[in-house]
Amino acid sequence: MRLENVFVVLKREYLQRVKNKGFWIATLAVPLFASAVTILPTLLISKSHTNQTIVVVDATGQGVAEALKAQVAKTAAAKSKEAAAAPTRRRGPGKGESRLADFTIETQTPAADPQAQRRELDARVRNGKGKVDAWMWLGPGVLKEEPAEYHARNTTNFLTQDTLRGDLSEVVRRTRLRLAGIDPARMEELTKRVELDAVQVPGTGASGGGVAGLIFAVVLFFLLYMSILIWGQQVMMGVLEEKGTRVIEVLISAITPFELMMGKLLGICLVGLTQLGIWLGTVLVLTAPGIVATMAFLPPGVSMPTLTIGMMLNLAFLFILGFFAYATFYAAIGASFNNLQEAQQVSSVGVIFVVAPAMVLNSVINDPSSTMAVAMSLFPLFTPLIMPLRIALEMPPVWQLALAYVLTLAFVTGMIWICSRIYRVGILMYGKKPTIKEIWRWAWYT
Amino acid sequence: MNPILEVRDVRKSYGDFVAVGGVSMSVPPGSIFGLLGPNGAGKTSTIRMIMNITAPDTGEIHVFGHPRKPDDLRRIGYLPEERGLYRKMTVTDQLLFLGEIRGLKRAALGPEIDRWLGRVDLTKWAKSKIEELSKGMQQKVQLIGTVLHKPDLLILDEPFSGLDPINQELFRELLQDYRSQGKSVVLSTHGMELAERMCDQICLISNGKTVLDGDLKEIKRRLGGNSFRVVAEGDLDRLRTMPEVEHATVQDGEVKLMLRPDADGAETLRQMIGFLKVREFRSEEPELEQIFMKAVRDAA
Repeated sequence: MRLENVFVVLKREYLQRVKNKGFWIATLAVPLFASAVTILPTLLISKSHTNQTIVVVDATGQGVAEALKAQVAKTAAAKSKEAAAAPTRRRGPGKGESRLADFTIETQTPAADPQAQRRELDARVRNGKGKVDAWMWLGPGVLKEEPAEYHARNTTNFLTQDTLRGDLSEVVRRTRLRLAGIDPARMEELTKRVELDAVQVPGTGASGGGVAGLIFAVVLFFLLYMSILIWGQQVMMGVLEEKGTRVIEVLISAITPFELMMGKLLGICLVGLTQLGIWLGTVLVLTAPGIVATMAFLPPGVSMPTLTIGMMLNLAFLFILGFFAYATFYAAIGASFNNLQEAQQVSSVGVIFVVAPAMVLNSVINDPSSTMAVAMSLFPLFTPLIMPLRIALEMPPVWQLALAYVLTLAFVTGMIWICSRIYRVGILMYGKKPTIKEIWRWAWYT
Repeated sequence: MNPILEVRDVRKSYGDFVAVGGVSMSVPPGSIFGLLGPNGAGKTSTIRMIMNITAPDTGEIHVFGHPRKPDDLRRIGYLPEERGLYRKMTVTDQLLFLGEIRGLKRAALGPEIDRWLGRVDLTKWAKSKIEELSKGMQQKVQLIGTVLHKPDLLILDEPFSGLDPINQELFRELLQDYRSQGKSVVLSTHGMELAERMCDQICLISNGKTVLDGDLKEIKRRLGGNSFRVVAEGDLDRLRTMPEVEHATVQDGEVKLMLRPDADGAETLRQMIGFLKVREFRSEEPELEQIFMKAVRDAA
């Protein structure tokens, strides 16, 4: 084998694909789409923040309106304090940031003529005089079970109403407790929820754990899954093109079929790695602690997993092995048949092996060290997909990792050997569609 | 002089179908060699065996004076019958790639490619993708790809298909240039007129077998001793029924007549005068087409 020949083919395969606009569109579309799905809604909601001025008429006689004013002011203060404290990692509930609306409260006591007072408040809302957006009437029944009245220009602002309802409920609850002779502060202390702080034991894995770690592992799994399928199929298309246009006849007068196949596999593998690199790079940037915290995308109490160099290397190697395990198969299929239609019937067999790990995804996630997960991750065809999943969830023991590498490497070597022999014969065969038996025989021609 | 390419009784069957049933040919250096034959005669099959794309069942192939080795193929430029180009690549990238797989350096290739593109009038298409080019233009790109590494032997399978007369002429000039450098060209075609204009040597195959082989002029001399041109009035078609006539082509009151080798021209003329008003009767060199038809018929 002449390495320079392999390199010339590799260069062509790589540059032709990377120079293609479609490659960049697809490569950038995935992270853009992913960000759009995850970030955009949060971003949109945070941008739709409103600030309402509300006149509250307190007919409860228990100072509920004043308490509400205090409550609203307290949450606003907490929020600005949190904003100043970012981007430090937050612990516990950070109510301020999830609030969609702030309120400025003006309190009134019921006038002698309530109807006149109501008419006047309606007029203020209608004219927008004094920038009043809404007014509320809190009757004495509010402390029992009656609703509070909310009069506004717009009554479909459910998100705003929801926030207001939350604040009001909190205040009314405390008033009720006080009236029942219970100290609200004491009550709060005693009924506090217990949070689960899920922390991964150091040295057992790379991720920060919890829900985010899980999402991260699944995202990783599907990125690899997509890459292996897409680029494996690209190998098949490329081989079919060379066969169909008879370019192959020109090429093999200059280089051997083996050099051609290896150049093609390595070139396309490198394209896949480039794409994966861009994707992982995006993940790396988007999940950098600073960025996530400032943009406030994370729910309270969750920290983002971070990629380590060791993990990146493992992913890259597993991708290369996975790519070769499947792409050699696709190269042999492409070489054996005359057109895409013929080839696709057989190539779907390859898809089955890629889909199988996706079907056991849930059980692997639930217990990454179960016998089934370990066995799957050691089976060469599944290793490239299951092992990264395990690594992201919980670092497997070194011996398992090493064994997986040895087995997959042996499998890939075998695949290269057998597929290159099929390729060598098939690539120059034209005419009728070969049977699987014939293709198998090609592998043993001398 | 040692032949640059020698094919010795090569045979190839696919199951019961005999694609090549014994082809022999010998290509001297500095010649344009025509591999001729009707469709399905086995021309492409023979070429594919020369290029080691398929292996012959029996027979030998010698190039450059020795049995063919894989490395010899790098000294041969091959143009397959169908377009052997990547459709999505630009003309320049494609040619750079074809040069590089033959071990040429990019820096040296650039100017050479520009020079060739200029010569075949494709300079302004250099950055276009192959799929944007017409068939004839693709054929020119492919020919450049074939000669770029300055091979000692060119093997062109139907190089003129899809070319207009102007580009056929251009190809002819390029190939003659090539020959003048002492290199050889083997081309297959079923176009006899073209072959006649271009080739010094021919090998005629029919039904997978060589039926004629050698120097074109010599073949014509050998087989054309009994060819005549007749201008006459009357029932010209009746000429075909005469026992002495091997082959007759009638066109616009003019007949190209090929007699049996043992037939006597003067005697034939005497009989002809019996039913035709003969204006002209002249001995003439036969056209390759007539030789071809006769040879194919004889072989059958």
